[in-house]
Amino acid sequence: MTQVQTPKVVKKKLFSPIWLLPIIALALGAWLGVKSIRESGVEVRIHFPSATGIDIGKTLVKYQGLTVGKVVDISIDDLLQGVNVDVLMDYRSAPFITQGTKFWLVKPKASITGIEGLDTLFSGNYIGMLPGEGESRSFYEAEITAPVITPGNEGLTVNITSDRLGSLDVGSPLFYRQIPVGQVVGYRLDGTKKIIVTAFVQQQYAKLVKVDSQFWNVSGISIDASLSGIEVRSESLASILAGGISFSSSESSDIAQNQHEFSLYESEEQAFGGIEFMLTATGSESVSKHTAIMFRGIEIGHVTSKTLTDDGVNLVAKIDSQYSELLAGSSTFWLEGADISLSGINHPERLLTGSVINFAPGSGEPQLQYSLLTERPEPLNSQKLALTLHSDTNPGISAGAELRFKQITIGTVLSSQLNASLTEVEYDIEVDADFSSLITKGSYFIAESVLSVKADIEGIAVTTRDLNTFALGALSLVRSSNGQRIVNGASLNVFANNSDAESYFNRKRLINKQLTSQDGADVAKGSPVYYKKMQIGQVEQVEWQRRENNFLIDISIQKSFASLLTDKTVFWRNSALSINASLSGVEVEVSPLLGAIKGGITLGLLESPVAGSDKHLYDSKFLALSQSTAIALTFPATVKLAKKAPIRYLGHKVGEVRSVVLSKDLSELIVDAYLYGDYAANFSQQDAIFSIVDVKVSLAGIEAPETIITGPYISVFPGVSAQTSSEFVGLIEKPFHNIDNALTFVITNSSLGSINRGTAIFFRGVKVGQIDNYRLIEDGTGVEMTAHIENSYRHLINKTSVFWDLSGVKVDIGLFSGAQIETGSLEAILAGGIGLATKDMTTTGNMIESNDRFSLSATLDPLWLEWAPRQTAK
Amino acid sequence: MKSNPNDSTLGKQVGLTCCPTCNKVTCAKSACCSRCDTKLIIRDYASLQKSWALLITAAILLIPANLYPITTLTNQGKVTQDTIFSGIAHLVKTDMIPIAIILFTASILVPLLKIIGLTIYLTAISFKLPISKKNLMIGFHIIEWIGRWSMLDLFVISLTVAVVNMGQLLDAKPAPAATAFALVILLTQLAAKVIDTRLLWDRLESKNDSSTNT
Repeated sequence: MTQVQTPKVVKKKLFSPIWLLPIIALALGAWLGVKSIRESGVEVRIHFPSATGIDIGKTLVKYQGLTVGKVVDISIDDLLQGVNVDVLMDYRSAPFITQGTKFWLVKPKASITGIEGLDTLFSGNYIGMLPGEGESRSFYEAEITAPVITPGNEGLTVNITSDRLGSLDVGSPLFYRQIPVGQVVGYRLDGTKKIIVTAFVQQQYAKLVKVDSQFWNVSGISIDASLSGIEVRSESLASILAGGISFSSSESSDIAQNQHEFSLYESEEQAFGGIEFMLTATGSESVSKHTAIMFRGIEIGHVTSKTLTDDGVNLVAKIDSQYSELLAGSSTFWLEGADISLSGINHPERLLTGSVINFAPGSGEPQLQYSLLTERPEPLNSQKLALTLHSDTNPGISAGAELRFKQITIGTVLSSQLNASLTEVEYDIEVDADFSSLITKGSYFIAESVLSVKADIEGIAVTTRDLNTFALGALSLVRSSNGQRIVNGASLNVFANNSDAESYFNRKRLINKQLTSQDGADVAKGSPVYYKKMQIGQVEQVEWQRRENNFLIDISIQKSFASLLTDKTVFWRNSALSINASLSGVEVEVSPLLGAIKGGITLGLLESPVAGSDKHLYDSKFLALSQSTAIALTFPATVKLAKKAPIRYLGHKVGEVRSVVLSKDLSELIVDAYLYGDYAANFSQQDAIFSIVDVKVSLAGIEAPETIITGPYISVFPGVSAQTSSEFVGLIEKPFHNIDNALTFVITNSSLGSINRGTAIFFRGVKVGQIDNYRLIEDGTGVEMTAHIENSYRHLINKTSVFWDLSGVKVDIGLFSGAQIETGSLEAILAGGIGLATKDMTTTGNMIESNDRFSLSATLDPLWLEWAPRQTAK
Repeated sequence: MKSNPNDSTLGKQVGLTCCPTCNKVTCAKSACCSRCDTKLIIRDYASLQKSWALLITAAILLIPANLYPITTLTNQGKVTQDTIFSGIAHLVKTDMIPIAIILFTASILVPLLKIIGLTIYLTAISFKLPISKKNLMIGFHIIEWIGRWSMLDLFVISLTVAVVNMGQLLDAKPAPAATAFALVILLTQLAAKVIDTRLLWDRLESKNDSSTNT
């Protein structure tokens, strides 16, 4: 067989490496065992008042979030005063479980700053631990509240004292320029009034806290609402709800040490200090806490509190530190609210925000107490001028009305009241010092009219003033030329308007005079009085006098014209339009417009002293200047006569009719007339004859043709009587007046024929006289005609004269002699006429005498024409 | 007593051996399996040692696996650490007896029995205890089969850990015991796997043979 070597089987007796596994496992197990024994921990007993929220096996002990122990047992203490909680602490915490170690129960707390212990919501409450120092112990009394612990190792803890906690809480953030730099870690009551809030500042920010840092509460939202907008300021959302503390520090101060004490201010404003002082007031209706103290529109402080005192209200106010230099000893404070007036609303925002306290700086050392004024004080350095004004009536001026000069306010009316004797209205006014120089002696005030409408021919000017004037009224100063300054307390006048003022002053310079007039004379108060067409005065008033049945007109004449008022002065009324119309033309005189509208009175001077009453107001200039005398005439009612009809003597106007009235029985016309002064004496004899002259149209011509236009007038013929009269009976027919003593005689005829009044008497075709009148002879046998021969021809007539009728045309027609037509002049044909022939020379023997009678022959004897005596005039 | 001659013939006695991988019966002299090229070995005596080592390790690890908590359950912040036993006790408390039984069987009974069974098995091989070869084999197969079910606990834990992960609200995490337990299961499985069961036949047969032969 083949050599088969049996392989040598070597049994490996070596220890298999697999055995390492159990060894490792053993080692591991042993290590684990040892470890668990080593780490079994320290058991401590903590006494809690209650086991609420503590569960065996579940409740952990944590230190800074690290579980350092676990509740293993809970038992009620012997005194039934709480529970003993046995806690198995981690072996590593053993060194910290000492005398000073503190334990407390941490419950979940949800706050705005964060949900603290949110884990406890799920894991349950845990026991917080704060390691301490000292010997170890195993029994502890649990703390009621979490002790103030510093969240980190390093940092700064400061104590902030406050009056109240507000919404601060543990965890409320601490801000520096809105950066959270720390948080409130605890608070406690110190005594009964102060709260000490402990805040922790993180290490990296610790140097920001200086010894003089100011801490203030930034809890909530700071809303600064004004009309200009709303500013909402808050540090962080957390601080809005959870509160917070902010602080600021100055650069230079020293860094604060741990546990430094600060005080907590209510707000940033307060924190920045400022000067606190007291304001005393009697009332504080519109002042409240936080009422602002304003200076030139900037809020420099505010009222921090107000308290009631025995005699008023004390306001504690504070001026911000940055404005603290403004406060001085003589500073003043006054309350100012919205001012609503018709001129507008001042500070309308204060309607919403309330009043503010205004501030005026002063000088001197600041005081601790000031009084709060209710109105703006007077500047110390200015002295207002206090004056009293007087007025007859109150032209709508009330207290508060402005005093103006050129529409610039220069002062105010303080009060208006009746004076002591109740005769005048008195105003107390104050003129600003700046304007006191405006007021001089003789200055006066005029009430501003809200609306003045000035209408004249040139147009209408409407002036209005502001609403303030409407409400309170306003007074305008009118300066006087007098430069003398006025002193305090002086009295000045107030007038309702310019014209009042003018009239007042005019009145002072006026001379009064009374005039009487039969009628109102078309004048009224204010009607002007003229002298040579210049106004020198005016009518003050017109009064009717019952007893005299006339009008009393008071006029005033400016003093400068006093010399015009003498015994030669007469007055007459101005007629608006005086038309002096005659056939020679029309003269129209128009008086000044004012006088035309208002009527007016003119003063005139006579050459000689006034004869009658110097109080008489004449109807016209002429009447006045002529010193006319009134007469009364009666005419038959048939007379046509109008007012103003002239009274003429030989065509010359010597008077005029003033009024024409029918008598009561309608039978007569009663005519009041004037005789002009110059002529009055001539025509006021008892036997003066007044007659009506009216137009008469006849073949002989038109008599008094001018009366067609002017109307009938009165003719007057003076009398010879020594007796004068003022009452006359007027005649209808104008009697013949033998003015120049002409030769009169009577011609008789059987009938009047065509002879009429005015029928001329011709001598050789020349008119030498005329028939003046005619009448029936009383026995009815004929007609008597009164005729006169003009003086220049009186030598042509004597007792040998014959008269024949020239009237008509005489036609003598014969068969053989032909036709012979004999006529007089055309006038004689038309108007009739009387021929005259004289046979003998006129001698003293045959001169006719007055009222010699001739008969009128019907036909002409041709012989008469041949008479031609040579007559010689005398 | 006479045994069945068929039974008494061993492969190694006729120069045959079985491939440990593909179970091909090959000539014992071959170095490698002609089919799968696995190194052939007639008897692995070292496996006994390995199995013992693994078993002992598993036995050691069984202690922390049961003493230490197997899960850390965080329920609403409450951290609960459960050992296997406390978990079962909890299930019992909450009246979930069937699950408790399953868990108890899979997590406590099976590993324990497995270790005990393997110990008996190995002891029987090592110290040739007079235990019926058939019974041992039955027991061994039971151990081998049931062993994998012990992973139930670990499956539950791993699934729970994967699914329940809501932070502080609800969170499950394996605790140290899980590792130990997993190792126990793994090591027992390995111990059962690593052992060359043919040694059983040799030892017992030889003893029987010697007794019968002599």
